Formats: sequence, structure tokens, C-alpha cells
Amino acid sequence: MRKNVIKLLARQLWQDAFRSKVMLIASALMLFLLLFSAYSGYENYHDQNFTRDEIQHEVQESWENNPDKHPHRMSHYGSFALRLKHVLSVFDLGMENFVGNAVFLEAHKQNTVNFSEASMSTGLLRFGEVSLAMLLKVIVPLLIFYLGFATIAQERENGTLKLLIGQGITRKEIVFGKWIGLWSLSLIFLISIFLVLLLFVLLESHNSMLTDSFLRYLVLLISYFLFFGILSAITILVSAFSATAKSALVKLLGIWLLFVIIVPKSLQAMGFYLYPTPSKIEMETAVEHDLIELGDSHNPDDPHFKALKDSVLLANKVTDVNNLPFNYGGFVMSKGEELSAEVYLEHQEGLYEVYHKQNNLERYSAFINPYSAIKNLSMAFSGTDFQSFLHFKDEAETYRFKLAQDMNQLQMDFIPSKGKEGPNTISSDFWKEFPPFQYHFLSIREVFKNELTSLISLFLWSILSVFGLLKLSTNLKAI
Amino acid sequence: MYSLLFKSFFRTKIFLVSLVLLMSVGVISIFIGKQYLVKQEKTIAAAQVFQEESIKKNIEYHSEDLGLLLYYLRFTLAKKPENISAISIGQSDVNPLLQAVTIRGLEGQKYDTDFENPSLLMSGNLDLGFVIIYLFPLVLIAMTFNLYSEEKELGTWRILAAQTSGKAGFLFKKMAVRILFVFVVLIVLMFLASTILQISMSANFWAIFLQSILYVLFWSALCFWMVSLLKSSSFNALALISIWVVLTILIPALVNNYVMNTYQVPEALDAMVEQRDGYHEKWDMEKDITMNGFIGAYPQYINYDVPEDKFSWIWYYGMQYMGDMAAKESSEEMTEKIMLRNTVSENVALFVPTMHAQLSLNNLAGTDMVSHLGFLNVLTEFHEKLRLGFYDKIFREKSASAVDWTKHDIKFYQAEHTFSWLKLLLPTLFITLVIGAIGGFNLKKL
Repeated sequence: MRKNVIKLLARQLWQDAFRSKVMLIASALMLFLLLFSAYSGYENYHDQNFTRDEIQHEVQESWENNPDKHPHRMSHYGSFALRLKHVLSVFDLGMENFVGNAVFLEAHKQNTVNFSEASMSTGLLRFGEVSLAMLLKVIVPLLIFYLGFATIAQERENGTLKLLIGQGITRKEIVFGKWIGLWSLSLIFLISIFLVLLLFVLLESHNSMLTDSFLRYLVLLISYFLFFGILSAITILVSAFSATAKSALVKLLGIWLLFVIIVPKSLQAMGFYLYPTPSKIEMETAVEHDLIELGDSHNPDDPHFKALKDSVLLANKVTDVNNLPFNYGGFVMSKGEELSAEVYLEHQEGLYEVYHKQNNLERYSAFINPYSAIKNLSMAFSGTDFQSFLHFKDEAETYRFKLAQDMNQLQMDFIPSKGKEGPNTISSDFWKEFPPFQYHFLSIREVFKNELTSLISLFLWSILSVFGLLKLSTNLKAI
Repeated sequence: MYSLLFKSFFRTKIFLVSLVLLMSVGVISIFIGKQYLVKQEKTIAAAQVFQEESIKKNIEYHSEDLGLLLYYLRFTLAKKPENISAISIGQSDVNPLLQAVTIRGLEGQKYDTDFENPSLLMSGNLDLGFVIIYLFPLVLIAMTFNLYSEEKELGTWRILAAQTSGKAGFLFKKMAVRILFVFVVLIVLMFLASTILQISMSANFWAIFLQSILYVLFWSALCFWMVSLLKSSSFNALALISIWVVLTILIPALVNNYVMNTYQVPEALDAMVEQRDGYHEKWDMEKDITMNGFIGAYPQYINYDVPEDKFSWIWYYGMQYMGDMAAKESSEEMTEKIMLRNTVSENVALFVPTMHAQLSLNNLAGTDMVSHLGFLNVLTEFHEKLRLGFYDKIFREKSASAVDWTKHDIKFYQAEHTFSWLKLLLPTLFITLVIGAIGGFNLKKL
């Protein structure tokens, strides 16, 4: 292959593209969409995080300003965890608006994460959302097809393909020249969007986060770079194997509809159909049922807690719980909390297992649908996928558990047993010692682990594309 | 003439592909709707069992103290499942089907969500509404984009033109055959849905039916107009798919982004915190503050004693009530904002048939945002009725036997959907007529 010939062919594709109306309209539309989604993405990110951050601080302040009281009152007073958005959510909204944003953390109870945008939206949300990533995932592929469907098929129809070959240009040079031309053309969109994004990343990442955000940014950039290469290869291949440019276009449009709209949605629906999930009330019933089996701290005759009491009395060599060196009520509650949290998390784990099965159908389809690969990758590295949400939920639950148990410990240590002398409240200084909730994003290592399937399939697709183009180079029909 | 046109149409590949695609995806979507209804039934049955058993169990432990018993007990209000909702599942997967609430503060319980897989929420349900709004236009596009251009490109147009007197009439008939076919599939699917899902033939069903027909007619007019421009097949395919992308993806998404950013709802989070603080701070305040607020709202309880030196249930439930009051303003603002989002979306939708179709299908199926807000309103009334039903007995320190628990089974909310035929049909009809007329005018010049 001669470099300058490939360059020449690629440049010719650029010239053709810029002469056509499609490119003009597409560029104008893309510019508008880019400005709109960058603005609305940033506004959303900034405003939401601002509100949430403010409320998180407010919550901590009111926690610390509580007067002296019984520690168990404080574990019912509880706290809130608010989900902060990752700066890359400006790029890919992912599931941002479909997962909850705030959760009330109190003793004895795992509350749901509420107030998702979806729960406050009209049916329009289901049409999708415009984001920078959506432009790259959904619109640009269509543009690549528009700009590339005619490349080889048209040349053949016009007879110019024969001429090219007659002039001593090899088939390989034609195929790769066209491919690189189309790919580089699509990179105009990629680069302009990623330049805008870079601005946000640099602007909004604080020192500790910068490396992480930048790494995520790089992975996204490389993934989309490959994705466009794959799409360009598909376009060239379809164009080459179609008799006419028209039939190439129809095929490519079909591929786009199938792989971007119909297949992902159908597979998700199928996953849901195959693996039904329980409703919340069903799971709560099951949790309660298991808890009664294991030990119900509300039941005075419960065998589990009776045995616990006997063993505690024996170990401390006393006959009455009120003579124990610690507050027995606090002790029972801490054991009860341990037990109920364990049972709840076990059931929750089961639920997520089902979700994973539901999602896996679509996730593994990445091996036949590169769009699925980029979709999942893009969400995950933007911190807007399901795993990122679960990570928030886990951190919130850990904080809740610690809050409840710390309060129980304070009760055990400082609240006198029944019938004993002493105040029933403790100093408010203890509240100030309890650290505020601080959310840390999923580490990039975890994200890599979660997205292994998508990464591998994108890689395989890249190899397959080059392989397909090489194959085409040997048997491209000139007429 | 028509019989020949039908015959030649039936021989095309696209006819078979469209028929198989629409029918299979259509039937799948109906069964997905069916599964959704089954899940609703199961959830309600589970809620019923949950409520009965938890009442029984808690009475066992706390029968002497009604105040404490009612601290634990939860009472369920559920939306009455309606089969028509399976056609357009809408927002009803995001918003819970039922809410089981204690008589403590409502604000902290009102917005609890059910479990749903967010991936599924994001991709949306493959219901019949989706098939109608997304797939039917695609099939129409696939069948009509080369209606004229194919004849032209194959060279058969000259022969045809020589043999028929009305060239425009011929194209129109050819178009009509394809549109008719799509209508037949749509009607078959509609009636399949009504049989499989056992939907009663109510005004709402017919409204959905007509809206769908009109929507497909709108796309037919669009395709007809595109054909009337007499451009090449490639141009038509490219242009029609672009229009489809703009109408079903870009415009609705742009409007949605705009509405969400313009009408942000931080009040939701404010209300959440205000309710908690409004309740909890009362523990550390004079009891009079609580009681003045509570008795101010419910003077019928003025004669109950509130001991200053020890705990009493009237004070406790008064504090809970005060928590709700603290959040009332923010909560109302939140509802207003959501309604505003809805109104703005609906108004924009009048000009965009895809959006209008989706929103009105959701509205007619009772699965839109407004319907859920209606449920939340009734839930507030339900909660107050429960409280007022129990307060007297609690404050008089009665035991559990004072209440007839059999009456406290799961209760249902029946939504009332009202709609205006004019607002439903007129916008799309008008747009369709205009586009169709322009198309017809273009063809006259042929």
C-alpha cells in the first residue's frame, strides 16, 4: 500500500463529502445539538450537584446542632445521603435520571433511594435524552452511513472504480483509502465533542479527581475512536457488497435501526420477560419472614434473643440485665440491627442478581452488536451506569449501618441501665464527632472490571473490521 | 386496477418482511403488556397478604398499646389495575403501583419507590404503544420511499405513463394500497390486544384506537408528500429516516431536556429534609408548640390531656403531623412544578405528532404523570382518614380489640380519566391534512 495514494483517496472522499448537501446539513445540525447538549448537560450537572451539595451540608449542620439527647433518638433522627453526579455525566447521562438521588438513613430500616428525575417526569423521557454521548452513539453512526453508503457502490455504478484499478491503484489501496477517509471524516464530530468535554473535565475536576476523570476521559475517547473505525469499516463493506448505492443505503439504514433502536430494546424487554423480579412488598414480606425465623428483637419470647440474653448474663456473671456493665437495650438493638441488615442485604443481593441476568442479555449482545459495547462502556466510564448507582447505595448503607451502630454503642456505654442512677441523655459533643457522609466515585479499576465484556467485544470488533477490509481487498468486484 | 396493484404489492419482499415484523413484534408487545398486568396482580395479592399478616403478628405483640401498634402497622392504597394500561405502560413502571403507609408522617413515605431495574426503565417498555409510535412509521417509510422513484429508476415509469391517463391517480392508488395494508395490521393488532388483554371497549379504548389510526395517517401523509417531490430513492430514504429520527428521537428529547432543566425540582429534596426536622425538633421543644399546631388543625381533640412530664401518644402523633406540615409548602411547590412540566410538554406536543401520540396514549391508558399525582392526592386523603379513624381510640389508650381490623384491608384508587376529543384528535388531524394537501398539490403538476 502506498501512503500517498491512500491519502489521495481519503482526501477525495472528504472533498466529495463537503461538496454534498448532507455534510452541510449534518454539520449545522450537529453544531446546534453539540451546543445544546453541552449547555444542558453542564447546567444539569452543575445545578443538581449544587443543590445536593448544599442540602448535604445542611443535613450535617442540623445533625451537629442537635441538643443533648438519648443516642437512640439520634439514630431515628438519622441522616440523608445525596448522590453526586460525576463530571463526565455531562457527557453521557446514562441512567442518571432513572435512578434515585436521595435516601433517608435511619436505624432499623433500609429506605429506597427516591426522587429520581424519571419519577418527576412526563412520558417524554422515554423518547430518550440528548447528551453529547447520545450524539456520538446514535446520530453520528447514522451520519457515517449517510456519508459513506455511496463510496464504493457509486464508483462502481459510474464505472470509475474500474478506471481507478486500471490506473494501477490496488484494490487494497482503494478499500483502505476510502475507509480512512470516512473514518477521519467522522473524527471531526468526535474531536469537536471531546474538545468541549475536555474543558469540562479540566474545569470541574478537583486535584484528587483529576487523574481519575482524565483516565476515564481517555478510555472514552479511545473507545469512540475505535467504534467509529468499526462503523466506517461496516459502511465500506456494505457499500462494496451492494450492487447499487441505493441498496447499500437501504441496508445500512436497516442495520442502524436494528442495532441502535430495535435490538437493544427488544433484548432488554426479553430479559425482563425471562427473569421476573419481585415487587418491593414481596421482598419485604420475605425479609420479615426470614427475620422472624432467625430472631425477632421485638418479640419478648424470641428464642434467639433469649439465648443471647442468657449467654450475656452468664458471661458477665449477673442474673439481671440491669446489672450488666453496659446498657442492655443498646446491646439488643445493635444485635438486631446486625441481623436485619444482613438479611436485607442478602435479599437485595438476590434482586440484583436477577437484574444482572436481565441486563446480561443485552450486555453480551455486544459480540454481535458493537453499539451495545459502546453504550455500556460509555455509561460506565461516565459514572452513570447501574454499577455506579449501586456503589452509591452501598456507601449510603454502610454509612447508615455505622450511624445506627455507633449510636447503639453510645447507648451501651453511657446510658444507665433501668433503675440505675444517671442522666438519660448524652452530650451533643458526640454528634459532632460523627463524620458526615462523603461519597466517593467508583474507582476506575472497578469500572474496568465491570466492563470487561464490552472492552473485549469492542477490541474483537476492531480486529474483525480490519480483517473484513483485508478480505474485501482481495475480492472487490470492479464491475 | 386495485386488484392488480394489490397483487403486485403482495409479491414484494417488503410486504412479507413488514407483515412478519409488525405482527411478531406487535404480538410480543401485547404479551409484554400481559406480563405487566400479571405482575401488578401479584404485587397486589402480596400486599394483601402482607397487610393481613403484619396486623395479626403485631397485635400479638402490642395488643395492649394501640398507639404503639399503629406505630408499626402499614395500610395499603393501590391503584386499581386497569387492563388498558398494558397498551401504553408509560410512567407506571417508574411510579409505584401501591403505597403501604403507617399513620406517622406521610411525607417521608409518600415518595418511596418500588424496585425496578433502571436499565429497563431507561430502555423503556416494548409495549404496543412503542410499536405504533416507532415501528409503524418505519414500515410505512420502507414501503413507500421508492413508490415513484423505483419505477423511474427501473425505467417502467415511461411505459406506465404512456398507458395510464392519470399518472397522479396511479401513484395515489399505489400509495393507498400500502397504507391500507398498514391500517389492516394496526386494526388487527388493536383487536388482538383487546382480546388478549381483555380490555373493555370503553371510550378510552376507542380514543387510543383513533389516535393510533390518525398517527399512522400522519406518517402516510408525510411519506406521500415525500413521494410527491419525485426525488430519487436514495434521497427519499435518507430524508424520511432523517425526519423519523428528528420526530421520534431528537425533538422529544430536546424538549424533555429543556423542560427538565428549566423546571428543576429542588423542592423535592427540601421537603424531605423539612419533614424530618419539622418532626424531630419537636422532641426538644415545649409540648405546647406541637399541640397548638395539632389542635389548630383538629380541634376535636382539644379535651385530651397532654401530660407535661411524660410521653403521650397525642403528643407523639401531633409531632408527626407537624413534620408533614413543615414540608407542606415545599411539597405543594414540587407538585406544581411537576404539573408545569406536564403542561409545557403537552403544549409543545400539540405541534409534534409523535410526542402528542405518546402523551395522549399514556393519558388515555392512565399511565401518565398526572394520573400518578392523582393517586398521591388520594393517598393523602386516605392517610388523613386513617389517622382520624384511629386518633380517638389511641388517645383514649384503648387496646387493639377496640378496632375492627377486618375493615382494614387493602384499599383501591380508581383513576378518572377525562379527555377532550378535540384536543386529542385535532392537532394531528390538522397537520396530516396540511401535509397531505401539499403532497396532493405537488402531484397535480405531474
